[in-house]
Amino acid sequence: MKTKNGFELRKVGDQRIIVAKGIENIDFGKIIAMNASSAYLWQQVEGKDFTPQMLADLLVEKYDVDPNLALEDSLALAESWQKAGIVEG
Amino acid sequence: MKELIPNEILLGCAKQMLAEGHTVTLRVAGYSMRPLLEHRRDSVVLAAAEGCKLHDVVLAEIEPDHYVLHRVVALQGENVTLMGDGNLYGCEHCLRGDVVGVVTNFLRRGNDYGCDNRLVRCYVAVWLRMRTIRRWLLLGYRIQLKMGKLISGKKENLS
Repeated sequence: MKTKNGFELRKVGDQRIIVAKGIENIDFGKIIAMNASSAYLWQQVEGKDFTPQMLADLLVEKYDVDPNLALEDSLALAESWQKAGIVEG
Repeated sequence: MKELIPNEILLGCAKQMLAEGHTVTLRVAGYSMRPLLEHRRDSVVLAAAEGCKLHDVVLAEIEPDHYVLHRVVALQGENVTLMGDGNLYGCEHCLRGDVVGVVTNFLRRGNDYGCDNRLVRCYVAVWLRMRTIRRWLLLGYRIQLKMGKLISGKKENLS
């Protein structure tokens, strides 16, 4: 899968959100909030092809977590990104 | 990994977006703008506050990280007085500079009403003149809302 063009990660205060780039109206009912780890993963794979396994490897590398748990989280994250319509493929 | 955004952070984000020249659509949270706006049902579209006017509905930061979406009921120089349509007592006071955005459209029950809409202007004119009997009007509104929910609940049970 691949992150869709036209979205950007923004940091507002301590909060990280994904918003559509360049649109005039920002609908706050549709913005996607991310915690620190998912924002980190988004930054790493933005504009690239990736798999849940790649996300898991990044998590293990950065946070030194159990690889199985990382893969479980990555699969759930990839699914939630797909549901939110910010990744394709 | 998706998180719910606390309201003060969400509104802080909205403030930043408005300052950058975007318009923002916000879902209404709270009951203080009844009967015009209903909690979690309706939304508003806000634009940057370039000089708010009397009777505008505005998003204002009345204390650091404390925002209200209320109507301007008095303007005196730089001082702004706000009150929710659904409030019986109590106003908020702030400066013009604390007004973050002005509502341009009300998205009520899925319908989009601009602030210049005749119905909206009529509502504002009538509602503000009925302040003394607001308590009873709001009571009637709440009863009507509950009856509506009861009826729709019964219909769902029957179908």
